[in-house]
Amino acid sequence: MLNAIFIGSIYALFAVGYTLVFGVLDILNLAHSAVFMLGAAVTYTMVVNHGQPFWIACVVGIAAAALMGLVIEHVCLRPLRRRGAPPISALISTIGLALIIVAAVEQGRAGSFFSWLWVDGANSVSFPANAVPNPTWKVAGLTLEASKVAIIPVTILLMLVLGYVIRFTQVGRGLRAVAENPRAARLMGIDVDRMITLTLVISSALGGLAGILFGLAIGDISPYIGRDNVEVRGLAVIVLGGLGSIPGAVAGGYLLGGIEVLALVALGSNARAGVAFAALFLVLVIRPQGLFGARLREKV
Amino acid sequence: MDFLTQLFTDPVGFYNSHTLLIAQVGINSILAASIFVVLYSGQLSLAAPGFMAIGAYTSVVMGQRWHTPLPLSIVAGTLFAGVAGLVVGLPVLRLRGVFLAIATIGFIEALRFGVILNLPITGEGLGLSNPDADPLGGLNIVLVSVAVVVFLLWRLTKGRLGHAWAAIRQDELAALSQGINVSRYKMIAFVVSAVLAGFAGALESHLNFFVDPNEYGVPRTVQVLTFAVLGGTGNIFGPVVGALFITTLPEIIRQVANYRDIVSGAILIAVIVFRPQGIVGRGGLAILRPAWWPRVRTRAPAPG
Amino acid sequence: MNRKQVISVLGAGLVVTACGSTSSSGGSVAAKAYAGKTLKLGAILSITGAGGVYGPQSRNGMQLAVDQINQSGGVNGAIIALTVNDDASDKAQSAQLAQKMIQEDQDLALLGPTLSNSAVAVHPLAESLRTPILAVSTTGIHIVPDCTFPKTDACKYVFRDSLGEETAIPDNIQSYAADKHPKTGVLLVANDDKFSSDGGTIVQNTVGTYGITLLKTIPFKKAEADLSPYVTQAVQLNPDVIFITSLGGIPAKIMAEARNQGWQGQFLGGNGFNTATVSKQAGANGKGAQSASAWYLGNTFTSNAGFVAAYRARYGADPDQFGAQGYAAIKVLADSASRANLSFSNVAGDRTKLRDAMEKVKIDAPMGPFQFTSTHDVHQTVWIIQMDGQGGFTLVHTIKPS
Repeated sequence: MLNAIFIGSIYALFAVGYTLVFGVLDILNLAHSAVFMLGAAVTYTMVVNHGQPFWIACVVGIAAAALMGLVIEHVCLRPLRRRGAPPISALISTIGLALIIVAAVEQGRAGSFFSWLWVDGANSVSFPANAVPNPTWKVAGLTLEASKVAIIPVTILLMLVLGYVIRFTQVGRGLRAVAENPRAARLMGIDVDRMITLTLVISSALGGLAGILFGLAIGDISPYIGRDNVEVRGLAVIVLGGLGSIPGAVAGGYLLGGIEVLALVALGSNARAGVAFAALFLVLVIRPQGLFGARLREKV
Repeated sequence: MDFLTQLFTDPVGFYNSHTLLIAQVGINSILAASIFVVLYSGQLSLAAPGFMAIGAYTSVVMGQRWHTPLPLSIVAGTLFAGVAGLVVGLPVLRLRGVFLAIATIGFIEALRFGVILNLPITGEGLGLSNPDADPLGGLNIVLVSVAVVVFLLWRLTKGRLGHAWAAIRQDELAALSQGINVSRYKMIAFVVSAVLAGFAGALESHLNFFVDPNEYGVPRTVQVLTFAVLGGTGNIFGPVVGALFITTLPEIIRQVANYRDIVSGAILIAVIVFRPQGIVGRGGLAILRPAWWPRVRTRAPAPG
Repeated sequence: MNRKQVISVLGAGLVVTACGSTSSSGGSVAAKAYAGKTLKLGAILSITGAGGVYGPQSRNGMQLAVDQINQSGGVNGAIIALTVNDDASDKAQSAQLAQKMIQEDQDLALLGPTLSNSAVAVHPLAESLRTPILAVSTTGIHIVPDCTFPKTDACKYVFRDSLGEETAIPDNIQSYAADKHPKTGVLLVANDDKFSSDGGTIVQNTVGTYGITLLKTIPFKKAEADLSPYVTQAVQLNPDVIFITSLGGIPAKIMAEARNQGWQGQFLGGNGFNTATVSKQAGANGKGAQSASAWYLGNTFTSNAGFVAAYRARYGADPDQFGAQGYAAIKVLADSASRANLSFSNVAGDRTKLRDAMEKVKIDAPMGPFQFTSTHDVHQTVWIIQMDGQGGFTLVHTIKPS
């Protein structure tokens, strides 16, 4: 059951970034899973190849992810907004960027052009045990690792901070105004482009952090961790929680983690993912606004 | 020889040594047609790989277990996919926009992980081998199929059905108030789309020696959606051009070797930024048409 | 070193050391028979995508062999022109490339593809177009021995120089059973790719022979993030041995989790254990994990010492199994071509001649004396190795071919 909480926390962190962009822009940012991977990959490279202490590496990893948020906005989204493109076009441009990010990391090998970014090519690696402090405790027959236990307070703290910012600060009010109606927000004197940029930076930083925690707790860092582990599950989570709803995404993350572990225990490996997606399908058919969503908005 | 150089200097030699690539373009064009039908009627359904898998597995299982003749296996696979479309369509078609998209993703992944990977008849995670496949001989059937599918859809979209679909896409409530039976027309589009995807899947399974469950997942659906959005969804030619472009792109840019994915990503971004309505934009091949060509009335923008 | 002479001697049907030899006999007529000609070979490898773990290693090994042969006079005077094409780990691209290389580029023979999933698409195609194809890294069952196309005929043009799991896993289990007499085992198998799942089947079919009771088979999916529930199930049964058949970083993850949960037994596996990356990633948790390998860095064959030294000098890193197999593949084709009496005017005829010559290959490769079995599979020495806990391997046993 503890596993459900660890993995659920990672899903939640990832999905909050996903849903934030959807809530403000009505766009599914398919580069988000690549940013998740980038955060983990950069942190690993800083620790192992540049010999930095773990916490500095984390800061660099999150900064790289946040920077990628800027790139997403300036390369993939803003030019499309300027041309009045339908929101679905943004799917293609973000897929394009995701391809580039994954390929750049995948081509990172000793002696290659991207060796500063990553040197393990398509290999999967994990943080070396001595680089990351990870004490373990035995409590009532359970083995608790610090890396896994730390995920829970980190997730909760971040969600509380994010919730506070969005609800009670000037910036948060601006974000919500843009989410409701960009045109009206602009008339009210809000710098819409700046708000959108900010959204992507926050979203990507959260995605990168989720990637680092994933690498830490699961011990798997490769160019494909975003695509294989969180891309589709992230979608499932934000739908379960209600599109655009941050508390919903958090709850949805834990719910999916729980469903997967239960399905595994009850039905075995093959059924695990099948049950999760069948649940997704049923939730949508029965309650399209999501389990926790109050309003139903049609958006693409 | 360089891919494009050969295409223009030695088209016959090119055709003979690229039949597999051309057949794949054909299969992908049928898939593009499948997603075109649902998008044209205003439904963002991403279920194509699921129906493809149904078509592929049905036809291969029939051919291998009961030795049914090839045309019968393919027809059976196609029809079975259509029936599945009807069954899946009943609950999901009241969903709209991104909710429909994600429900259909739920469908394909539940089918793949929940059903295909657990049935002995599908070979579970290992897939099925199909020793009767004929990768080099199947091209003509594929090309004829593409021509027929494109022609039929082109006719359909010009006819009553097409106008009903377009009306639903532009405004479902208005269509309803004009007396259009919205749910019926949506269901027709969904089933036609499922039939086309099932047909593409059945055909493809006879071009490969192997049916692999991992090919019918979300990456495939994203690829098929890319055909349509990149090509443009105003008419049937857009998605087909998109399929042609995406399928041949890796060969065209083979020179850049290790950096192929980086270059294709950059090309995707560039194309969509400069042609947000797709390569074949509103009202046909807008870029290819000379200025003096008579303009057809402009269609409403693609569903988004 | 004089390559021309080495190859001319091989052409006479004698077995000599193909690499690192310092033959000094005079030139012969055969040495110049192909002078001025080009031997076109095409490799289909996964340089990008998930198979990018293996493809670049194979490519390095091949390129090294090609340059060595060309610099020392070529194959009876003919220069080898090797084209390496990347299939991006995609089955469809793999088949399309094979068709193009056979029909348009008119390559004499193909090498690859890297992944078993692509091989099942490409090998029957090469067979139907009567072009020899030599697999350099695939290890799944049925990749070579019973090719199903066309149905009535065994595959005539498909060869493999990589060690199949159906040899590697039983050799390893036999060797460990003889040493330690384990009683119980649990199998952890990734059941969604051909390589891993085939390995699982082989484990299930083999353990009984050596008196091991398989308590449970626990399947999982490669893409699953968190493997700890499966490992917990395995550890709770407290078996003597845990068998792992999977690829990439997964074996290392399982080892770390099992040691973390306090289990002290033996890990046994297949080809999935045999890369330095896996050993490095497993670290101290992997110490003692045992597998059978087609090749071992420190093996004492003279041909291997030459290969390892040349590889290090050129790439600044140690080769791995895939580099050795890629290198050996070029040597196999060069040796076969030198004996095949090629015309260089009729590609179809030359392909068949080359195929016939390949069946009689007998060379010294980095993995030792090398030849094909009657089903075109590899016939070679097998190395039983254990992870040393520091990213390398130590040799436990050497099994000579029967």
